[in-house]
Amino acid sequence: MEKKPAPHTPPKKRFNSYKRSIIRHFSSVISLLVLIPVFALISVFLLVFPHSTISYIEKRELTKFPEFTFDGYFSGAFTSGITKYYDDTVPYRDDFKNIGNSFKANFGIKTNDSVSVKGKLTAAKNKDKKPTQQTESSASDNEKTKPNNESSKNTVEESAQKDYTKENAEYTVENGIIVVNQDGHYRALEMFGGGTGNAYVDALNKFRSQIDDKVKVYSMIAPLASEYYTPANYSYASANQKEYFDDIASRLDKGITSVDIDSVLAKHTEENIYLRTDHHWTPLGAYYAARTFADAAGVNFKDINTFKKETIAGFVGTMYAFTGDINIKNDSEDFTYYVPDNNDKCTTYYYDTSFNYNSSGNFFNEVGDPQSNAYMTFMGGDEQIVKIKTNVKNNRKLLIIKDSYGNAEPAYYTNSFEEIYVVDMRYFDLNLVDFTEQMNITDVLFTMVTFSAFGDNAENLDNLITQAKGNVIKDTADSEENSVSASD
Amino acid sequence: MVFADLFFLYFFLPVCLLAYFISKKIETRNTVLIVFSLIFYAWGEPTYFFLLIFVALVNWYFGLCVGRCKNTANAKAAVAVAVVIDILLLVIFKYSGFIVQNVNSLFRSSIPVPDISLPIGISFFTFQAISYIIDCYWQTVEPQQSFKKFLLYISLFPQLVAGPIVRYSVVSSEIDKRRSTASDISEGSMRVIVGLAKKVIVANNLYAIVTQFFGNDISNLSFLGTWYTVIAYSLYVYFDFSGYSDIAIGLGRIFGFHFNENFNYPFICKSISEFWQRWHISLSTFFRDYLFYAPILGKPRKYVNLFLVWFCTGMWHGAEWNFIFWGLYFGLFIFMETKIGKKRMKKWPLWFSHIYSKLVIVIGFGIFYFSDIGQLGKFFMNISGISMLTNGNSFADIVTWNSFLNNIFLFAIAIIISMPLLPKLKYFFFKWGNNTVYTTGKILGTIGCVYLLIMSSILLVDATNNPFLYFRF
Repeated sequence: MEKKPAPHTPPKKRFNSYKRSIIRHFSSVISLLVLIPVFALISVFLLVFPHSTISYIEKRELTKFPEFTFDGYFSGAFTSGITKYYDDTVPYRDDFKNIGNSFKANFGIKTNDSVSVKGKLTAAKNKDKKPTQQTESSASDNEKTKPNNESSKNTVEESAQKDYTKENAEYTVENGIIVVNQDGHYRALEMFGGGTGNAYVDALNKFRSQIDDKVKVYSMIAPLASEYYTPANYSYASANQKEYFDDIASRLDKGITSVDIDSVLAKHTEENIYLRTDHHWTPLGAYYAARTFADAAGVNFKDINTFKKETIAGFVGTMYAFTGDINIKNDSEDFTYYVPDNNDKCTTYYYDTSFNYNSSGNFFNEVGDPQSNAYMTFMGGDEQIVKIKTNVKNNRKLLIIKDSYGNAEPAYYTNSFEEIYVVDMRYFDLNLVDFTEQMNITDVLFTMVTFSAFGDNAENLDNLITQAKGNVIKDTADSEENSVSASD
Repeated sequence: MVFADLFFLYFFLPVCLLAYFISKKIETRNTVLIVFSLIFYAWGEPTYFFLLIFVALVNWYFGLCVGRCKNTANAKAAVAVAVVIDILLLVIFKYSGFIVQNVNSLFRSSIPVPDISLPIGISFFTFQAISYIIDCYWQTVEPQQSFKKFLLYISLFPQLVAGPIVRYSVVSSEIDKRRSTASDISEGSMRVIVGLAKKVIVANNLYAIVTQFFGNDISNLSFLGTWYTVIAYSLYVYFDFSGYSDIAIGLGRIFGFHFNENFNYPFICKSISEFWQRWHISLSTFFRDYLFYAPILGKPRKYVNLFLVWFCTGMWHGAEWNFIFWGLYFGLFIFMETKIGKKRMKKWPLWFSHIYSKLVIVIGFGIFYFSDIGQLGKFFMNISGISMLTNGNSFADIVTWNSFLNNIFLFAIAIIISMPLLPKLKYFFFKWGNNTVYTTGKILGTIGCVYLLIMSSILLVDATNNPFLYFRF
């Protein structure tokens, strides 16, 4: 067989090679006239424009220019520090991050397992079920609500609300966090994968055994938002947290009261009980929890209507940084918190983690960049010990051992206890048993989110009970106040 | 320093380019390149910097020795000493921890495991040095008389830390005489930008998928989930490494050097032998040229050499058992392919060749990924479907499906770019088309590159940590 002519030979020569080389050169020059200015502009922009110093999205200070040391140089820390500084402090960093995230949103299509018709059908089915749920829940609610609780009387909203976990929803997954679209808003949810809770149970039981029987101890674990908002088409990925809480409750010493807020919050799912863009609950969610605790502790508790409502609009929390999902950023929410009417009559004392007095003032703080730091309004953060003196006289003193979820609670207790001590389970250098005894605490509340009770934070609880034992603890705020008044 | 980094791209590189193109004479340009290359290396390795200089000095010196006593036993001795020193350095800095650990577990001894951090790029520059010294001995190249020029060859920053392994013969004449024409610079820049985009837009985001599924314990990962992730990982490695090679080749081009290609669309191969002719070409040709025909007990022994080559290929990738398995795994398939014979393999139906080769490659990347042997075992249980029976793993899962849908365009782009469609398009524009078509093609390409450059740079703002994979080697 004869060889066929190569298929790619051009039918005729349309150009001569000299002319082509001129064209080639000419078009390369044009291409360079475009590329070089773009390249130069970006270089100059990065060099000349003021470098960013903080990232509001990530809520952190950006890298600083490294200091030169010989050790630092030879370990490579100095040079890598310069690179890191340059890369981290890009002018308009947050804006570029947002553009990048918008770009990445185009990599795929939104997952929606249910066709819209199907979604409606399941919703309709849920509606059929609702009456039975309602009777069940209102019955259990009545059982729990004590007569001395004023608030329960005007809880018109205490009807069963939508069970989002029974409906399918559109969602995406980023970094293990799912972003669902429900009722026209985006909500980021962290999934709970389970755990033994052994460290939590052991530590609380140990604590109970070491303190006076008269002191009451409570355990109140707050579920993650995924408990209520994980759509049915993703439910396999999230463990039922209620089952885990019940298991913990059954293993805790009989002298520890387990406060079940999981089923209480379940009745408020259509309200804003969790922040959609942050890993915390809302102050309203914390309110329902606090009310349940006050019931259990048998103390006075004021209805939220008596509180003054404050709102920070345009809040976007940590979930944007965690997921990088631009939808979260574009769907900001209101951060609403509630100031008690006796706030002026209360004083909040701030101490370091070894209980050295620092300052006193308000429980509610103004924060820099509230649109991303709104949750810091409560006491300004975690790494400290806080005492609130209220105008109540009932000989009850509350000690709260908490993670950041607990930060939203203390203000609700200002009508319930004489003094409230707030200790973060991660930042406490004293001995918890000594502290409880020497501060004459009458009620100890462990309150934290699922992740803390079942995760690494709980490991630290045992340290709090064993560390720094046998020291005399002094409230330096008292002595300082005395010395101030003495010098006056 | 890494290429996919704002500091490198927009500070180091522009300063270097300015200094380079301001100087006119080739000697000055070479000096500029050496100075910047040494800064580039010392930036990441302030102490191992001296190791790089040492390697250059030793090989330059022995190169001269080899040149002076051509065809004598002394030349043989000189090349042997130099190669032994190079390999010894590699063993000390890369494998000593691994060797001691294995000796300890084998003999239950307790020799303290040396804690030596891997000098960046050592696997690449020692191999370049070895190729140079052997080429000198074979007289395929003339030994470089000037240490400065030799240092330039060893330390040239585009290829210094992650390849390609450039042969001295490729650049020897360009060290003395080279020009950067407008088309060199424009095509080189476009190549750099394409490489950057491959790394930042495609590879980094594929890797996010890989860590989502393979980052934790994989015991319960579904059958399809395992396949999905290992395919994503295979694509990731290709885009990461070929992106890096593109940047290296493009930068070289800007400075007037013409390095050989390192990748040639490996995923379109029809056999494993062909895969390795298209994948990390500079490494496979290195082993082919310098090890495959090396005499063992007097003469080259085909199959012993074959497995030696693949053992070393695996070992080169890292001081871990899984890399050695990975190399031998490919060696085994290549051995089988040589036994079957090229002619008979050509008769295989096309679909069969493709499925066979892709299966072997993708599973190979699973071995490549899991340096934890326990996890590797689980990987095999999952991917073979055995864990569905023994561990009750599911066949498919919705997380995988969602991840796939959420990244479907990324995958589509990755698969399209890993096929040689772009060169075909280029061929159409540049060889076939008339002058207008040619110019249009160039302008469209430029606009595309500007977009890719801006997008990659923006994505780099967020990439706090994105080292190239091949920095480990």
